[in-house]
Amino acid sequence: MSDAPIDDADLPPPSLDVAALSRLRELDPDGRHGVLSRVLTAFETSLARMLVQLQSESGRGDPEVVRGIAHTLKSSSASVGALALARACGEVERRLRDGQHDDVCADAGRLAMEAQRALQAVGAMLRA
Amino acid sequence: MSPLTLPADGAAEDKPLLLLVDDEEVTRLLTRLHLQEHGFRVEEADSGEQALALLGTHAPDLVMLDAMMPGLDGFATCRELRRLPGLANLPVLMLTGLEDDASINRAFEAGATDFFVKSQQWSLLAVRLQYLLRASRTTIELERSKAKLARAQDLARMGSFDWRRNDGRLSVSPEAMRVVGLGPHESVDLRALLGMVPQDERRALRRRLLEALRHASPVACDLPMVMFSGKRRMMHIEAEPEFNEQGHMASYTGVVQDVNDRREAEDQIQRLAHFDSLTNLPNRLQLRDRADRALEQARRLGHQFALLWIDLDRFKEVNDAYGHGVGDELLIEAARRLKACVRHSDQVLDTLESAGPRSHRLLEAVCRHGGDEFVALLPEIASEQDASRVADRIVAVMREPIYAGTQECRVTASVGVAIYPRDGSTVPELLVNADAAMYSVKNQDRNALAFYGPHLAGRGRERFELESALHKAIERDELVLHYQPKVDVRRAELIGVEALMRWQRGDRLVPPMDFIPLAEKTGLIVPMSEWVLREAARQARVWADAYGLDSFKSISVNLPGHVFQRSDLVEHIHQCVREAGVPHRVIMVEITENTLMSTLENITLTLDKLNQIGVEVSIDDFGSGATSLSALTGVPISELKIDRSFVQHLDNNVNGARSAVIAEIIIDLGRKLGLRVVAEGVERLGQMEELRKLGCHLMQGFLFSRALPADELGPWLDGTQTGRGSWPVAPRSALSGVALAGAPALAGDPPEPADDDFSRFLAGGVAGSG
Repeated sequence: MSDAPIDDADLPPPSLDVAALSRLRELDPDGRHGVLSRVLTAFETSLARMLVQLQSESGRGDPEVVRGIAHTLKSSSASVGALALARACGEVERRLRDGQHDDVCADAGRLAMEAQRALQAVGAMLRA
Repeated sequence: MSPLTLPADGAAEDKPLLLLVDDEEVTRLLTRLHLQEHGFRVEEADSGEQALALLGTHAPDLVMLDAMMPGLDGFATCRELRRLPGLANLPVLMLTGLEDDASINRAFEAGATDFFVKSQQWSLLAVRLQYLLRASRTTIELERSKAKLARAQDLARMGSFDWRRNDGRLSVSPEAMRVVGLGPHESVDLRALLGMVPQDERRALRRRLLEALRHASPVACDLPMVMFSGKRRMMHIEAEPEFNEQGHMASYTGVVQDVNDRREAEDQIQRLAHFDSLTNLPNRLQLRDRADRALEQARRLGHQFALLWIDLDRFKEVNDAYGHGVGDELLIEAARRLKACVRHSDQVLDTLESAGPRSHRLLEAVCRHGGDEFVALLPEIASEQDASRVADRIVAVMREPIYAGTQECRVTASVGVAIYPRDGSTVPELLVNADAAMYSVKNQDRNALAFYGPHLAGRGRERFELESALHKAIERDELVLHYQPKVDVRRAELIGVEALMRWQRGDRLVPPMDFIPLAEKTGLIVPMSEWVLREAARQARVWADAYGLDSFKSISVNLPGHVFQRSDLVEHIHQCVREAGVPHRVIMVEITENTLMSTLENITLTLDKLNQIGVEVSIDDFGSGATSLSALTGVPISELKIDRSFVQHLDNNVNGARSAVIAEIIIDLGRKLGLRVVAEGVERLGQMEELRKLGCHLMQGFLFSRALPADELGPWLDGTQTGRGSWPVAPRSALSGVALAGAPALAGDPPEPADDDFSRFLAGGVAGSG
């Protein structure tokens, strides 16, 4: 992995938070243990699985399932710097917990979209 | 998933082990990585179910639970975890989402130790974990220490309690509840506890507690409590007051301990010190104590009190005839009867004053003074009649036969009474005078009572002085042996001597009659007999040196039954002769017929051993007791001594014939059993003649010589010079000029050259004297 600063112009529009990534790098300063790629790979696998679920929930709209996915994705996406996704997860989770079940399908759709973008960002990061 | 770990710092074992339970892999991975960086070891589980399974085999120091998980969520997992054995106090940190009050409450309800809002602030998490672990260790140590204390208290049957003054609330530790026989969850107050103290003690206790309360002083006391099981146990209570800031007593804190076993042991010691173990009566020490108190009370309150000295008549004879087992049973029964004659109290009182003004009545008792002597203490009598009524009752109940073992024993009691202040002003004086009064009964017909009177003055004192002087006689070297020759009149030979004890008390020689019975009664006879054996062996050495060992026969030593109860008698004799350097045969043991019969079974073994080492055994006073003839065949004896009572009348026209018949039977018996027969108490020539006619040639008595001091035996021997090598005999007292030379031998006796010797020794005797 390159230590060169990431140039905004080189990256696709969805991207991972620089601060979050540098926190991850601190865990493994010289990269010997491949911490960053390991975390990102785990996130990518998990996220891909969740995306499939979200896509099906955007048609069905089970609030509990959507809430569970939002909860799970909220902290992991924040950890890897997929901040947009993390924010969306937080909002959806709070709304569902407060009993606002009117737009579950739309929520699921929104989360699916953000997950899609995060997946792109992670993929780009891993294969940069 | 392959484990991903960062390099470890230091020994892995020193680092706390965490179990991280989260279904989300990325979070789990990140959390682990960060915590490893902060010096933790981390195990992972991706579900509540897996976590519970892991806890069966792993023992983490802390568990971190994600609250929201599919399947068993964090709350359910925590509840399950708490039910597993040994995990009640395992620290559990619940990881919750942000702004989630409901989850936090649920976490605590489920038994979580703490919660933590998930965030990226890993160092905060690490600090929280460190804090939880430290708190957990402290809790564990506290629990251990509490458990140790509880265990120690349980072992000591001890527990603690607190009593608060303001509301009177009593809090009792589970250990203390157990001590007083209650379950840990039962409720108890001071009133209920006081209710367990027997009524008669409760009032005094209440007084004591109120007194302590008033002065805010510590409480320490032993008191009995009746458990709900009905068992009465002795408790020790010790409590200290505690004071508030104003210096006022605010509470008492203390311990209660079950000291029943200790008290029982103490009571047992007390009993051993103050009570006679055979009869369970108060002993001599306790008697003295009680009598001193009774005297003090009588002096203060101006009344009379009485001491009754009770002596069992013929007890010694029963003891000798049937053995100590029977004797002991007799004493136990006698004690029971005597106790019933008074208002006997076994109570040992520490202070009389605490028990009320008439408490001296609790002193009333029958005590065993020793042996067959008892003393009844009547602490208050109105008149002499009160004492004589009790004494009469004692004489009456003791008159009834006592069945001891298979024997019907008829012992009676002689009672002497002394009354304070009339018969003495001190306890020793009263005891001496009661004893003197008892002796005045003994000297008459026994089986009666007598009051002390001035005519008896000094007599009791004499006996007491005698007893205490006798104790010192051995160490002061006041005992001496005199030796009475045993002679063979046919051969004119000394066959041996009988050692007889004398007591050189100052310039007075006390005859055996005056001190042997006392020595037997007090048990002093045992050390005295041991001394006799040693002295006899020593004397044997002196004579052997002077006259040669070959010519020396033996010294007979009288041993009472007591001595045979010592298992080391044989060893003792062995030691005496070895020290003196003389052969064992120089000692001959004389035992009375009564001794032989009373302890026959025990004694036979000892007599066998004596025979094996060469010590012969002689039966003394034969014919006076009740020997079973068959017993004679089983016992290894060498000699029979005809009782002097038969010898005495041999030359007497009135009783002579009958005595002669018995003497002849004994002589015949001895001859047929191959035993030597010696006649004792031969004082006159007529008796000697008769004995010779009956075939008895071995004699002992004043006719030949009284018992002589050792240094007079030599001159006596020289005075009976016959010119023979062996020790000759000269009956100085027989130098009456009566010619015995022609005395006819018994028909049927083989011709005996000894007759010549006999004439010769008479001639020698005459020559020697003149």
